[in-house]
Amino acid sequence: MKPELFFKFASISFQKQVTYRFDCFVGIVNGFLYVFIFTSLWKALYSQFDTTVHNGFTLTAITTYAVLVMAVRISFTMDDSIIYRKVMDGSIAMELIRPTSFFFMNLAENVGHSLFHIMARTFPIVIISLLLFDISIPFEPVRLLAFLFSFFAGYILISMLNFAAGLLAFWFVEIFPFMLFKYALFTFFSGGIVPIDFFPEFLKPLVNFLPFQYMLYFPTVILTGRVPMAEVPSIIISQLMWILIMGIICSLMWSAGRKKLVIQGG
Amino acid sequence: MQQDNVAIEVKDLRKEFKVSSSGKGFLGKLQALFHRSNKVITAVNDIDFKIRRGEFVGYVGENGAGKSTTIKMLTGILVPTSGTANVNGIVPYKDRKKNAAKIGVVFGQRTQLWWDLPVRESFDLLRVIFRVSGSDFDRQMAKLDEALGLKPLLEMPVRKLSLGQRMRCDIAASLIHNPPVLFLDEPTIGLDVLAKQSVRNFLSEINRTEGTTIILTTHDMNDIEQLCKRLIILEEGMIIFDGETELLKQKFVHEKVIEVEFYEDDCVMQGIPGVTVVREQGCKKWLTFDSDSSGIGEVIGTIASQYKIKDISVKEPSVESIIRNIYDNRIKLSTPWNKSFTK
Repeated sequence: MKPELFFKFASISFQKQVTYRFDCFVGIVNGFLYVFIFTSLWKALYSQFDTTVHNGFTLTAITTYAVLVMAVRISFTMDDSIIYRKVMDGSIAMELIRPTSFFFMNLAENVGHSLFHIMARTFPIVIISLLLFDISIPFEPVRLLAFLFSFFAGYILISMLNFAAGLLAFWFVEIFPFMLFKYALFTFFSGGIVPIDFFPEFLKPLVNFLPFQYMLYFPTVILTGRVPMAEVPSIIISQLMWILIMGIICSLMWSAGRKKLVIQGG
Repeated sequence: MQQDNVAIEVKDLRKEFKVSSSGKGFLGKLQALFHRSNKVITAVNDIDFKIRRGEFVGYVGENGAGKSTTIKMLTGILVPTSGTANVNGIVPYKDRKKNAAKIGVVFGQRTQLWWDLPVRESFDLLRVIFRVSGSDFDRQMAKLDEALGLKPLLEMPVRKLSLGQRMRCDIAASLIHNPPVLFLDEPTIGLDVLAKQSVRNFLSEINRTEGTTIILTTHDMNDIEQLCKRLIILEEGMIIFDGETELLKQKFVHEKVIEVEFYEDDCVMQGIPGVTVVREQGCKKWLTFDSDSSGIGEVIGTIASQYKIKDISVKEPSVESIIRNIYDNRIKLSTPWNKSFTK
């Protein structure tokens, strides 16, 4: 897909979001509420113990993690029911008659969606949090660059996850239960609630077997400085490997699903 | 193999859909949780046809006959269960994107324009999608504007267009890249008489001047009669007729209708062998006879020799009435007919 086209699709999707201003306002409040709840929880938990470092996190470190993981998560906001809706109303037919890749069109729409949420929600929430909470982010240019790279890789991964989940609509009439399951798996195993370091030992092999930690946890800990710079390249390589694996899964599902596709409404 | 003058080639094309049916009522639904009976519906049943470049083909059939399913396979939206299709030398369901670049598609009940964008921006987006150069785009737009009167619509958001306006824009949208093959699935649905006529004029013009191959699906037989030299009729997923529209009339109209008006004093008509009265209105009568067994001159001669005729005319049944008869099974199409024609 040509970059020009990608940006056009992204900008249409961005503009669509602008029309839902009230949604956005609620989204800011909602996001900040989450940050407030989690930071308060950690504070209460840490005050119960004499030791100040748990699983390598000081209270400042865990507060920073809680704020930033939420910031990354909000930045990754995308409409994961979009493919489902296009299949249900049959409008997917109108996209398949265009000489464009369905995956990249979908990605472009996600990017526009996310860009809006980054500007309208991530930034305000991070700024408010910086003022209210005890947060420390190491400002090293190389680290910031590594974070950006890891962030993009994580973004592509989650976009692929949503794409694959959305393609289930080619097989099933109702995919809401799958989406709930995906949401639960993602929220927990990506480190969205609790950093992976806090997970019990028996869960760790499973976590390493799943792609979710490369979507939120690793980009976040690269930014917070929890990961030494020396480990960053291997993390990013793992992310790229998962992109490759997810890419293969997506394209297999796509070619299998197209045979199953039924256009609703004639 | 692929001849240069063939635009579309379809061989043994088949599409099946699985439909799972659950029982009726609460118990039936409960049972369906554990055991579900799957039914296979054959929407398109091993069809063959070839369409040459520059042809204008009407693709008709009742609702659910498999017209749209065929179009969707030829446009790369659906993947056939078996058989092959070839459009412009491309296999649409394998090379969907490559195929899409060389065809134009209009689905009457959907739009490919962006609902919230002004028409102009939709067109501009399609220009980028189809990689049309700026000068080609301007030239094509000028042509489309002249034929379809797009100028007043360009600044309007698509959702504010009336059905007829939207259809004009959708037809224009499908032609931005000047495709050699155009698929139209009910493009005149819901249009008023004037709008229909302007769309028809335009289609006939691009078919003539650009040599665009057009496949038209419609329920409006006037579309067919005015535009399509060739007709493919589909029934329950199978082709039951494929040939010239004129030929359909000749082959399947065994009955001709004579409209006669007699002078008042000679109004009562006795029976004439082989002729039946289908309708009477005072001294005006509508008669039919089997045109295979008796010639038209013969019949008129017989009537004229016995009665005083005030006015007489012979009516050709319209394509619509023929097709209605086919749908009603009043005209039986012998199966060897379609096979011999496609070969």
